[in-house]
Amino acid sequence: MNAMTPCGDFRTSYAADTTIFPTRNSRLALLIGIVLLCGAPLVLGRYELSLLINIGFMGIAALGLNILVGFTGQISIGHAAFFGLGAFTSAYLHERFHIPVMLCIPLAGIVTALIGTIFGAPAARLKGLYLAIATLAAQFILEDFFARARWFTGGVAGRMTESPVLFGFAFDRDESFFYLTLFYVIIMFAGAANLMRSRDGRALVAVRDHYLSAEMMGINLAYYRTLSFSIASLYAGIGGALYAHYLLFVSVEAFNILFSIQFLGMVIIGGLGSVMGSLMGAAFMVMLPEVTQWGADLLAGGAIDRALRLGNSLSYLREMALGATIMLFLIFEPDGLARRWRLIKAYWKLYPYSH
Amino acid sequence: MSMRNLLLGAVASLAVASLAMALPALAQQRIPVGHLMDNSGPTSDVGLPYGQGVADAMNWVNSARRGIASRPLAVSGVDYGYQAPRAVSQYNAWARDRVVAIQGWGTVDTEALIRFVTRDRIPYISGSYSAALTDAAGRSGRQGVEAAPFNFFYGPSYSDALRAMLQWAADDWKTRGQQGRPKYVHMGANHPYPNSPKEAGETLARELGFDVLPAIQFALTPGDYTAQCLTLRSGGANYAYLGNTAGSNISVLRACQTAGVQVQFLGNVWGMDENAMKAAGSAANGVVFPVRTGAVWGQDAPGMATMREISRTSDAAGTAYRPVHYLAGVCSAMLMVEAMETAAANGGEVNGERTRDGFYARQNWVPRGFEGVCSPSTFTPQDHRGTLRVALYRAVVGGPTVQGSVDDLMRAGTMRLEPVTTIELARRADWLGW
Amino acid sequence: MDWSLLLQLTLNGLIVGTLYGVVAMSFVLIYKASQVVNFAQGEFLLVGAWMCWWFLTEWQLPFYAGFLFTLVFMTIFGVVLQVVVLRPLIGEPVISVIMATIGLGIFFQALMKWIFGVFAKPFPPIFAVERVNVLGLEVQTVYLMSLGISLLIMAAFGWFFTASKHGLAMRATAFDQQVAQSLGVSVPKVFAMSWAISATVSAVAGVVVGVVNGVSSALSFYGIKVFPAVILGGLDSILGAVLGGIIVGLLENWAHYIDSEWLNWGNMFQIAPFYALVLILLIKPYGLFGTKNIERV
Repeated sequence: MNAMTPCGDFRTSYAADTTIFPTRNSRLALLIGIVLLCGAPLVLGRYELSLLINIGFMGIAALGLNILVGFTGQISIGHAAFFGLGAFTSAYLHERFHIPVMLCIPLAGIVTALIGTIFGAPAARLKGLYLAIATLAAQFILEDFFARARWFTGGVAGRMTESPVLFGFAFDRDESFFYLTLFYVIIMFAGAANLMRSRDGRALVAVRDHYLSAEMMGINLAYYRTLSFSIASLYAGIGGALYAHYLLFVSVEAFNILFSIQFLGMVIIGGLGSVMGSLMGAAFMVMLPEVTQWGADLLAGGAIDRALRLGNSLSYLREMALGATIMLFLIFEPDGLARRWRLIKAYWKLYPYSH
Repeated sequence: MSMRNLLLGAVASLAVASLAMALPALAQQRIPVGHLMDNSGPTSDVGLPYGQGVADAMNWVNSARRGIASRPLAVSGVDYGYQAPRAVSQYNAWARDRVVAIQGWGTVDTEALIRFVTRDRIPYISGSYSAALTDAAGRSGRQGVEAAPFNFFYGPSYSDALRAMLQWAADDWKTRGQQGRPKYVHMGANHPYPNSPKEAGETLARELGFDVLPAIQFALTPGDYTAQCLTLRSGGANYAYLGNTAGSNISVLRACQTAGVQVQFLGNVWGMDENAMKAAGSAANGVVFPVRTGAVWGQDAPGMATMREISRTSDAAGTAYRPVHYLAGVCSAMLMVEAMETAAANGGEVNGERTRDGFYARQNWVPRGFEGVCSPSTFTPQDHRGTLRVALYRAVVGGPTVQGSVDDLMRAGTMRLEPVTTIELARRADWLGW
Repeated sequence: MDWSLLLQLTLNGLIVGTLYGVVAMSFVLIYKASQVVNFAQGEFLLVGAWMCWWFLTEWQLPFYAGFLFTLVFMTIFGVVLQVVVLRPLIGEPVISVIMATIGLGIFFQALMKWIFGVFAKPFPPIFAVERVNVLGLEVQTVYLMSLGISLLIMAAFGWFFTASKHGLAMRATAFDQQVAQSLGVSVPKVFAMSWAISATVSAVAGVVVGVVNGVSSALSFYGIKVFPAVILGGLDSILGAVLGGIIVGLLENWAHYIDSEWLNWGNMFQIAPFYALVLILLIKPYGLFGTKNIERV
């Protein structure tokens, strides 16, 4: 919507006005990007592919949170619990009912969405800060439930699960799982972009921007807030299911409050209210520990290493860097990486007239 | 335009150069080994000394023994902060670089990686002593226990350590001349690590004639646990197993000391050490816990000289006190090193599978140079319970521990580790895997 | 029914509850004055505890001197934090401010681990008498100290907010920032002052917890316990915060009693305050004493 279209590029139909890709080049760029990604497993090694897969399913979950936080203006500090719910549901459905994993993943998403609706319905009556605290409580309650419900989660020992199998072909290597993740990323992101240009998406944005006016215009606030929770849970569930069938082991220890905070960080750093920003924020969060590790390896043995005792304190510095990054982004770039990307694009488009 | 091209080219070459430098050096001769540590996460208070021991041992092997058959170890040490996804992604990087073995750490990474290391045939020596890892061939028939043919650990499993302490407790009850049935209670968080030996412990306790009280939960974080202590006292427990790591055990010990609870506390390997004794002070007095090595730092044993030499790798002055976890880390690394030496003998290739076979080569195996310190271990292809011998020590704290370092306090005798007994458990087949 | 155990647990709950109340008071102070939800309250406790420990062990100061220095340090700390991090965020949406305080919390947790290490450290003994017998329950003297201090702080707050110029300025700012500004109140100064007072009060709680359990990085979990307390009491009522804290302390211990006597689930001690939190939010979101200006949908 904020894309800069060249002079003379008119919209002559309503359908053309609501298109996701305003220019032919942006559509082309996306298609070329997808083709390049399809070729990635042939070029990249296992390690890089695993990073991309992580970015993929984290990005899906972050997109769900972005729909809730960025587009609808709610707050959720319990997203990791729903992510974990998706992971456990998928593993449970596969083990108990012997449903093939390829079906388990969407089913897990649906089940998580239903449970998210249950949580969202009372949450729809709360605003802002109260909602934040309620979701914080939900995070702890769900975590406790995971630890105690042995029938569902395998208790505290966790649950092993299988790779997805389609017509006898098992997605158990990074190369093959990459395609599965790419498939889901494309579908979920296209879905979100489509949602935002539809009537419901506009209603969500209206709820965020000025809920009193939205209510006066006839938008049912409780319905849309609950819907937003459900959609966010759906995305979190699918992201979690992919996580489960990639790691082949789900344990309650992974879905703690720190993980929820990481999701919030992804959304904020990527940009609230931006579909592509979720992916960028997820990429940032996944790459931050790797980049600091590379940096530390580079500096190992040098003067800076000795001064900061990098070898021992790398992880502390990494966490401090994470906290500092979140604060700096909020102070200097509150609209996140997405806005910075838009500005960079604008610079190149408007050169030499950009100011 | 050319300026932009120049800039782009410079950035690209910088990225490529840094990537190339960051890739671990894979010279033909060096043996790549992975090392996961927790120096900053929730288990860092025990992970730090253990990881230091492993790292120092491997450095020492490179310098004093010139590596394995003249091939140095290329160790890649990563602090993963006890987060499973970090461990898995690091594992993928190592698998790409074809590491020969991995020194792992906690339950969360060990359990997550069982299938991966089995598929990629890389021995994984963990700091997690969960009994489920000992069922190498998967024949124990226990629910939820998978075959773990490539998982090893040095020392008794959590379950075996608890069983040994219960046997001691039963004897202790009789020695003290007490009448009636003693009461036992398991205390710990609802997490895999404290829960690991719970069932095994309670079953054996019933067999030995204890009254098993309902388990008491307390979290893995320090907090106020007066309520739990009051429940402990009102239940009349005589022996209480503390299943958490040192940090929260300290809170319970202090709270129970304040509340005036008279109970014999049984610790676990990661739940009590010299640092915890200093932090808990007189509250830690009398806690009985298993020690994985034949001697503790400062005692005399033939292998202690080698230990001191290893310690000097990271402490040139030789003044640092090495807690029990450090010694266990060294033994754990040396088992891996000697298994690799077995694989390399007669010019053989050092890979993961042959290293695993190297673990089976010896009986009652003490790495050479560590006699009297590292306990003898025996691994078989079906049974990865290395040792069933559990050495029990008692923590003795005679005075205030606030001033002075751990080294000063141990030297002055304010803190002491007093050997209690050594229990040799029977290698029962029905105890495998749980 | 084990009455003596119940009585002791009740006493324990009251005593620990005053500690929660102290932390909740500092949280509510910041919220009341500057509308900021401070998710880093636990880290204030942590920083205060570590600073006091450092003063007492490194510099060998007597407790009163070390404690006073800690309070001074925390005052400056609160002001600096507010100026550097929070002032640029005035006017931003709630989610941004919450994330900023979360980021602050992460930063200081890691910083404390970096500076002071990961091992729990014990506090030097402070009182000649370590514990006191109160109605059959052995209580650490430091808890009684915290009880005394929290009563003192409540009285001080009571006077501050009703009778002193700065306190009235703070209330005015909390009520309507623009009108207060038009009357000559320096709003940024008020914000800075509220953060400074909150940091100082949190440091008191941190020192108490440190004396009881030893100082370690997990101390900041107390900051999570503060949420049930403030929701119960009402987000903008200081008296409510203290009562909320006491109620949470009692709730924990009673839940543990019920759990150990009948249910044997084991986790009620940890989780009961959060169930209560959710319940209160559904039934009575403003808590016991909060003002009802949050519209319901």
